[in-house]
Amino acid sequence: MSDASVAAKGQGASWLILPGIVWMALFMVVPIAMICYVSFWTQTTFNISSTPTLASWKQFFASDTYTGALWTTVRIWLIVLATTFIIGYPTALFVGLFVKSKTLSTVLLVICVIPFWTSFLIRVLAWRPMLGKEGAINIILMKLHIISQPIEVLLFTELSVIIGMSQIYCVFMVGPIAFMLGRIDRNIIEAARDLGAGFGRIFWKIIFPLSLPGVVVGAIFVSVMVLGEFATSGALSGRKVNLLGNIIVTQVGSLKWAMASVTGVILTVVMGLVIAAFLRIVDLKQEL
Amino acid sequence: MTTQTAIFRIDGVTKSYGGVKALDAVTLEAGVNEYLSLLGPSGSGKTTLLRVIAGFEVPDSGRVFFQGRDITNLPAHERGIGFVFQNFALFPHLTVRQNVAFGMAHGAVPVSAQDTAQRTQAVIDMVGLKGMEDRGVDQISGGQRQRVALARTLVMQPKLVLLDEPLGALDANLRGRMRNELRAIRERMGVTFLHVTGSETEALAMGDSVVVLDRGRIIQRGAPDDIYSHPASPDVAHFLNRFNLFDGTLAGGSFTGAFGTVGVTNATRAPRDVYAIRYDRLRVVPVSAAPTGPALKATYIANEYLGSSVMNFFETADGKVVEVEHHLSLGAPETYEPRQDYLLTWSPDQAIVFGREGK
Repeated sequence: MSDASVAAKGQGASWLILPGIVWMALFMVVPIAMICYVSFWTQTTFNISSTPTLASWKQFFASDTYTGALWTTVRIWLIVLATTFIIGYPTALFVGLFVKSKTLSTVLLVICVIPFWTSFLIRVLAWRPMLGKEGAINIILMKLHIISQPIEVLLFTELSVIIGMSQIYCVFMVGPIAFMLGRIDRNIIEAARDLGAGFGRIFWKIIFPLSLPGVVVGAIFVSVMVLGEFATSGALSGRKVNLLGNIIVTQVGSLKWAMASVTGVILTVVMGLVIAAFLRIVDLKQEL
Repeated sequence: MTTQTAIFRIDGVTKSYGGVKALDAVTLEAGVNEYLSLLGPSGSGKTTLLRVIAGFEVPDSGRVFFQGRDITNLPAHERGIGFVFQNFALFPHLTVRQNVAFGMAHGAVPVSAQDTAQRTQAVIDMVGLKGMEDRGVDQISGGQRQRVALARTLVMQPKLVLLDEPLGALDANLRGRMRNELRAIRERMGVTFLHVTGSETEALAMGDSVVVLDRGRIIQRGAPDDIYSHPASPDVAHFLNRFNLFDGTLAGGSFTGAFGTVGVTNATRAPRDVYAIRYDRLRVVPVSAAPTGPALKATYIANEYLGSSVMNFFETADGKVVEVEHHLSLGAPETYEPRQDYLLTWSPDQAIVFGREGK
């Protein structure tokens, strides 16, 4: 085949990406640019004008409410990331590596996904009768005489938000890790055993490094979803926990477009940094 | 061979998977500094046998001894037996050097960093991978990966190395070269190799001694030339892939088959009556000829050029394919007419006969 025909073919093929580019341009690039632009608009109580100003940005960083929301978001993100990893990795290890039958491991993964058959809101709200002062957990613990007073910290606190989010997002950690673990050649593990390595060494030197791309993909899934969260914190914290997502919802609700945009830009930047940091850990190109 | 000189011995080992016996009371031992090749068709239990010796599988019954010690219940990582996998099973995220050093860095017996570096370099040089130390294992060729797998095992200085079809993943050219290298490396290291293969040429070429395994049982053990010239049973003759086997009846010192009745001077005892004649012992003559020995009428189908010989395929009246090998060193091959009948003849004293009447 001559170079010219290769080039022609390449050109022909490049049209395939056009719908994607148009779609992404219209519904992602333009809105992001718009958010950045609007964040510099002048906001008065009942009006907004396109006169450029840094007022909203200054207000964001001067207010404890807003910076507090930023730190709460980062803190809850890190805690949920840790809990989903701590709960998810052993689960994935069991499903992906120790279950020898492919059928059984698929069944187990499907079981992990069953909660997703109901709506997001139901999954979140279902925690209320579980965690409440007269909820299932307190009743059971009291019946068993483990506690004499109901634990009040379970609901409408940061803890309840963390419990709720960990449950909802754990499966996004389990899935990619189990997939990577399932791809490890069993002979490699046997080879390591044959060379005299015990399970601990095999785990840290072979299994964990090989599952790392799965961990990174899972962590990116969880991070993106947790950082943008507002529903779980809204439903389970009794409005005591304000995440950046909640700020945006409130500001949009009261037509404070400029402040909502500032928060949106900050949230987007945080997510971008987090994803970039994760991608530095492993070279995903090699794995796909 | 006594237990004292045997490096390993397995004693009546049986292993079943879901009711199917992969190993059926197998007893086998190998001496120090010996190259033992284990030949068997797929499903004969040869890989299971290796896995039992390595400790990846626990036998249902029977014992495994290594250097005079019962290791039946010892976990794999405490056995000190090397294992080379068919697909090499290299650690994909580590470099050549890290792969080779793995056993010393993370094994049961601690080795100092200096010793590790020294031994790693020595074995890398020995297998001819100098200059490749820092490459990833996906950046080297199949033959080089094979060498890494070997180096990784040999650097641990095992007294016994199990090789599970180690050449199976290589192309033919490389396979030939690696055969010689495997033998040379083994002789230099003075270790015992137990080499499992499904290829009869590999088994005969490599082993000081060949063990033939079928349906979980050892059916013959001996020197390669001994097995080749005196297969113990029709099954062994079949696995060697060098014999035309004819069913028939052995009675009163003569064998009756598709080729008529032929006198038999020497028969080997076997549960069924089979007449075996090596591919290169057959001669092809025109139908009009009247050969002195036994003769079998067959139709010529096709031939296959093998480089140093030509394999001719004939079909008998009852649909059986008979192979006739002509070595080119004996002169140019004759050409035969497709779909034409010929007579295949041989000298009866070159046949190997099995039967219930045999000795």
